[in-house]
Amino acid sequence: MRRSPAAALMMVMLLMAGCTQSGAPPRDPGKVVLPVKQVEVPGRLYATKGRSLYRFSGTHLTKLLAGIKVKDPAVDASGAQLAFAQLQDQSSTIGICDARGRNLESITPAAGPEGKLWAFAPHYSDDGQRIVYLTDRLKQPSNPQNLRPNDLAVFGQDLAGGPARRLVVPVAYTGGDSDPALRPGANDQLLYTTYLYGGAPLEPVARLTWMSLRTGARVYLSPDGARNFEPALSPDGRFVAFVRAGSGSDDLYVMPLAPSFSREAQPAPSDAALLLQAGIVSEPVWAPDGSAIAFLMLLKGSFDLFILPVANEPTLHATGPAKAVTHGSFLDADSRLAWSP
Amino acid sequence: MNHSGAAGVPRGGGLRRAHWAVLGALALCLVLVGGLLLYLSPVLALLDNHDLSPGKPLATPAATPPPLDSKQRVNILLLGSDNDQKFAQDAVLSQTMIVVSIDPAKRQVTLLSLPRDLWVAIPGHPSAKIDLAYKEGGASLARATVEKAFRIPIHYYAWIGLDGLVKVVDRLGGVDVDVLHPVLDDNYPNDFSGSGYGTERVYLAAGPQHLDGRHTLQYVRSRHGDLLSDFGRSVRQQQVLLAMQQRTAGMDLVTALPSFARDLNGHVKTDLDLVRLTQLMLFMRGLRAGDVHQAFITPFVRDAVSSDGQQILTADWPAVNAYLRRLFGGDLLP
Repeated sequence: MRRSPAAALMMVMLLMAGCTQSGAPPRDPGKVVLPVKQVEVPGRLYATKGRSLYRFSGTHLTKLLAGIKVKDPAVDASGAQLAFAQLQDQSSTIGICDARGRNLESITPAAGPEGKLWAFAPHYSDDGQRIVYLTDRLKQPSNPQNLRPNDLAVFGQDLAGGPARRLVVPVAYTGGDSDPALRPGANDQLLYTTYLYGGAPLEPVARLTWMSLRTGARVYLSPDGARNFEPALSPDGRFVAFVRAGSGSDDLYVMPLAPSFSREAQPAPSDAALLLQAGIVSEPVWAPDGSAIAFLMLLKGSFDLFILPVANEPTLHATGPAKAVTHGSFLDADSRLAWSP
Repeated sequence: MNHSGAAGVPRGGGLRRAHWAVLGALALCLVLVGGLLLYLSPVLALLDNHDLSPGKPLATPAATPPPLDSKQRVNILLLGSDNDQKFAQDAVLSQTMIVVSIDPAKRQVTLLSLPRDLWVAIPGHPSAKIDLAYKEGGASLARATVEKAFRIPIHYYAWIGLDGLVKVVDRLGGVDVDVLHPVLDDNYPNDFSGSGYGTERVYLAAGPQHLDGRHTLQYVRSRHGDLLSDFGRSVRQQQVLLAMQQRTAGMDLVTALPSFARDLNGHVKTDLDLVRLTQLMLFMRGLRAGDVHQAFITPFVRDAVSSDGQQILTADWPAVNAYLRRLFGGDLLP
């Protein structure tokens, strides 16, 4: 297929005449952008952008912990204490500080006999006395000639003192578990996401897992062959909001959790559990009074912060549309949100 | 008498004006074409970058590419490699082999990943892993190997190096990906510093997120922490290709193309010509999410050890061929 250069050039010109489009891929503005019509945020809602920590409160936006790279903020029920993953060069630690960002200290090591360590996703118990988080501590030393698994495991630690303890041994070569959270009102119960492979041929699977820390018993709350992840417990511990991957979308679901731990098989989340189907949703978190769920949503190429009002009578449902707290801000969608009074 | 002469003056002036008008139009055309060539020069330079290393002739397709105005299927072999300091120039394995099959009639695209450890007959060479074909004979041999093993006519090829992928993604402003598993790799190759043999620690959280070029490369390249190893990586590579396609959907190609070409120069080799490239970009931009299908031969391969002790994959070829017939219909080579 040989054409003269002139003919090819003409063809290109004609083709390009149809290529012009005013739209360009959205770009990170490098700052948090609030919409013209601002949404008032009740309490204090924490998110990160570019690994910097931001607090939304009312219509105020405050940047905290300047100079520190932050991921996965968490806040205790009173709102007095913050925890977060502090990122360093190829390692991270769990840092804690007061709500103003003062009295910063690390409660996990950046390295150990195993080498450099990761630590992410801290979460407070409702009494603020205990914290759970992810780390690759206790992994076996690895090198390119002798590769060993280094998956993340859920650890627990009393903040008053005492050693950290591994609560869950992850399945090797899955990347490990994610999103740990202690159940409000029942701090001997843990929820997290287990990453596995399922089906034939094997495919990535993510299952919501409910664990009794008293007995070590575990039960899956979601079916095999699907991806359900990022569980968030309501402040009263009765409901679990989570993300469920569908065909080309990640939707927000919510389902009730039995009052006490049970090893009996749980019904898979039904379609009735669907709360919001709007594209790609990430990192749900409940308002301290349970009246709303905040989450990040991909809209026009940017992950932004939204708040969805909910009520739980007769069943949990949205009471209005989701409102955008930020606009075109490219918030860190891989970093958890936290919300306190 | 003067009348005729008087009448002749304006006629002569009209001719001169006509000449000037023609000359002016020609000059304008020259300026326009010159400007267009100047504008397109990065693209033309990029497309002139064939795989022409000594002993590796320019890839020649077994089947002639269909005419531009036809509705016939077009297949492009997408190759990805290390291009770091560990290897001599043009002596790299193809870590990624994806056949991008474009069916204009059905407005569909199929992405078919070929596992790099698959044991195949390589024309003119002993049987080996399929990733060796590019190292031994460049795009020409990689194309011939795929055509022989899978009977898929490869009309074009495109090779991209690590830097190229990073730059494309950054030029797009990043991609939005739902990371399928946490990615942890304590021994991820750090090609961009020192000897090229160093390693670094990589962590990507699971779930939806926006990735820049560097983190996208980590996502599609890491395999040490993935139980599915190269299969898992193939799934992630196709996922990122889809994310890139979605990202380009709203782009102004006229202004973007030269910038892309400048970024990619030296990191891409292809035998796609400008017209075909533009035609394909237009086609891809018009696709919806459901128009792109992902395909893997994973169910039809199994682990094995070669006679020289390599960990390889062997295929159940009748099952692979039946699968390909379902995908490509009658568009396979005889």
